[in-house]
Amino acid sequence: MSESDSSPKIQTTIETGDEASRDAPLDARDTVIETRDLNVYYGDEQALDGVSMEIFEHDVTALIGPSGCGKSTFLRCINRMNDMIEVCRVEGDVEFGGKNVYDDDVDPVALRRKIGIVFQKPNPFPKSIRDNVAYGLKIQGYEGDVDERVEESLKAAALWDEVKDQLDSSGLDLSGGQQQRLCIARAIAPDPEVILMDEPTSALDPVAASKIEDLIDDLAEEYTVIIVTHNMQQAARISDRTAVFLTGGRLVEYDDTTKIFEDPEEQRVEDYITGKFG
Amino acid sequence: MATEDSTGDQLGRSAALRLQQLKGQLFEVALVAATLVGIVSLLVLFAYISVDAFRPGTASPAWFLVYLGTLVAPTAAFTLYARRRPAVRTANAVAFAAVFGGLLLSAVTYAVVDALSPYDVFIYGVFASLPPMLVLAYDRTTEGQAYTGPLILVSILVGIGVAAVVDGPISGPLGIAAEWIMYFGLVTVPAALLVGTLTASRRGRRTGAVAGGAVAAGGLAVAGASIATGANASLLVVLFSAFVVPTGYVVRRSVRTNPAGRVGLAGPFVLLGGALLGAALVERFGIETPDTFLTPTLVLESWDGLTASNAGVYPQIVGSIIIVGFMAVLAFPVGIGAAIYLEEYAPNSGFRGRLATLLEVNISNLAGVPSVVYGLLGLALFRRTLGFGTGIVVSASGTLGLLILPIVIVSTQEALRSVPDDLRQGSYGMGASRWQTLREVVLPEAIPGTLTGTILALARAIGETAPLVIIAVATTTYSPPSGLFSSATALPLQIFAASANAKPEFRHGVVPAAAVVLLTLMLLMNATAIVIRNKYGRET
Repeated sequence: MSESDSSPKIQTTIETGDEASRDAPLDARDTVIETRDLNVYYGDEQALDGVSMEIFEHDVTALIGPSGCGKSTFLRCINRMNDMIEVCRVEGDVEFGGKNVYDDDVDPVALRRKIGIVFQKPNPFPKSIRDNVAYGLKIQGYEGDVDERVEESLKAAALWDEVKDQLDSSGLDLSGGQQQRLCIARAIAPDPEVILMDEPTSALDPVAASKIEDLIDDLAEEYTVIIVTHNMQQAARISDRTAVFLTGGRLVEYDDTTKIFEDPEEQRVEDYITGKFG
Repeated sequence: MATEDSTGDQLGRSAALRLQQLKGQLFEVALVAATLVGIVSLLVLFAYISVDAFRPGTASPAWFLVYLGTLVAPTAAFTLYARRRPAVRTANAVAFAAVFGGLLLSAVTYAVVDALSPYDVFIYGVFASLPPMLVLAYDRTTEGQAYTGPLILVSILVGIGVAAVVDGPISGPLGIAAEWIMYFGLVTVPAALLVGTLTASRRGRRTGAVAGGAVAAGGLAVAGASIATGANASLLVVLFSAFVVPTGYVVRRSVRTNPAGRVGLAGPFVLLGGALLGAALVERFGIETPDTFLTPTLVLESWDGLTASNAGVYPQIVGSIIIVGFMAVLAFPVGIGAAIYLEEYAPNSGFRGRLATLLEVNISNLAGVPSVVYGLLGLALFRRTLGFGTGIVVSASGTLGLLILPIVIVSTQEALRSVPDDLRQGSYGMGASRWQTLREVVLPEAIPGTLTGTILALARAIGETAPLVIIAVATTTYSPPSGLFSSATALPLQIFAASANAKPEFRHGVVPAAAVVLLTLMLLMNATAIVIRNKYGRET
């Protein structure tokens, strides 16, 4: 406390996103995901160390930290994408809607239908744009009007105007930024509750990245977004709350983004944010 | 002094640099030579046996001139013309694939069905296709049928089982019906359904129904006309349904989608027309033809071990096709299934992981086992243990199936491994189960590689001789196999046997001619593999 009090205000040049509209008092918000004492191991190596945090509905929560700090691991724990890695072992609770997702009676397939994910590298399927967006609907046996839902999702992903005349051409023909927005459209088509994003803009050029950032802002109206990013300006711009992971898989500080960037409690967080290490 | 050289002067080619470049160039030349060894030996091999088989030396210069003018020159000119225009070239390739694919399909279908008896094949065909269609129809009328896929598979197997039981009693009364009706049911009906569905998906149900109906009506008209003129109605019905209809459909589609390349569609007809015109001219002016062994007799007649000019390998060709075809039915599901398990399901660690690793290592070993040894395995398994008759189709197919199994597994594994993991992750991330991920994303991506590998395995199997010798497949039979449990022979075996014939015209004429036929079969299979790979490659 004394340390942070004495530290000067930093990063004042970074614009913080306009949270005002969403910035309800904390206790009035609903918790969507809550982890308690989450430990994750890859074989003998510990990737997450006792992470406990609450993620609130309709927030954009940014996870930042240096490489290897466990932020992506944390993200993938939430919808159990880590199940695919044989050596991965998870201890502790990840509660989603009041249910521990690692309980025996939870089907990871059903879980992932509620918690969508967008990856670092755009990975559209080698199918038509329409089939890409309709993929989730198809596998979930969606009974409504698929074309209508495809259009809604592409509009929500700010891609509709660019692709409406070429829905039958391959998703691979799009540019990198368009592909990533296609992946976002694909993720939101089955209407999940939470969207996880694992460094969604790091493989894109600045213009494409800023489009995705604008999009994330809009998505938070309807979804809860958790985004892993290497780019601190990006975290500051788009997120409502920021969690800082530092080496060893520990969650060091988790607070309102404004607070984290302007007045962090921990000296290490300040050092990381100001670029002294990381 | 060196210090006085400007930077520009140092950019020239120094002796040391030149030496380095020379080394690089020599290395490149060596690499080109190494690459050429393969193609040159293939050409030499082909030329060597072709000259013996075709005997161009016995033809008169006029004969060469006629075909040069009617066949070679127009085709070459057309190819050159098409090469420079991408649209024309595409249409040309499409037309060639349709015409020769259709001719080949017709020939193989007719020969195989004729050998196995059209009545039996018809009964099996009906019993194997009606139950799955009923299942599909039921699936359309009701909602949420989760088991349609497995049910279709089971219904096909049950249908085949029922057909095996009722075949005897039914085929007698069915024999009253004319033979061409069987071919109509086996070839024309599926062709009509296919054209109908394809047209319906593009241009509405009504047009689809009309197109399908037109195909069926055309088949009946062809049958009627050939009966009236005394021609072979069965063969013509097959040719109409498997050659004329698909060619017409493809040509029409090509005109619609690629109008700029319309001229290219003439390619195969320039070739065929040239050949026919040449033959007519040779006939008309009595030009001396080469005394070749590559005659219609060779591919259409039965074997004659006494007179070389009468020797044909029709039963051997059909035998090879039936053996290899049934082998594909046996080996592909097993091999592809094993590959999918090893790549997609088998864990990396634990007891089952170790088991999978052990399996994979031994599949590689299996691929290296000499084919003679597979023959011994086939002999022990099919003749001794199961007590099958000597040298029958099932034993031959089973033995060759075991032989190509590792090739199928390894090539399918390669194809699955080449599917990027990003796609699997993406699918799982959407809440797809492992099965859905496999069916919707991984398998479609792996199809081209799998097909290429498996068709190459077929090409390998069609030339195998040693294992067939060991399981005592007859070297010569005078009719194609009449069923899966009837004795058969294969083309390479006949070549092997004829090479020991006392008469030199067999050893130096019929053997190379039959080898040309065998190589052509093999090259056709490889070409099919390439066409399939390119087609799927383009769509994705």
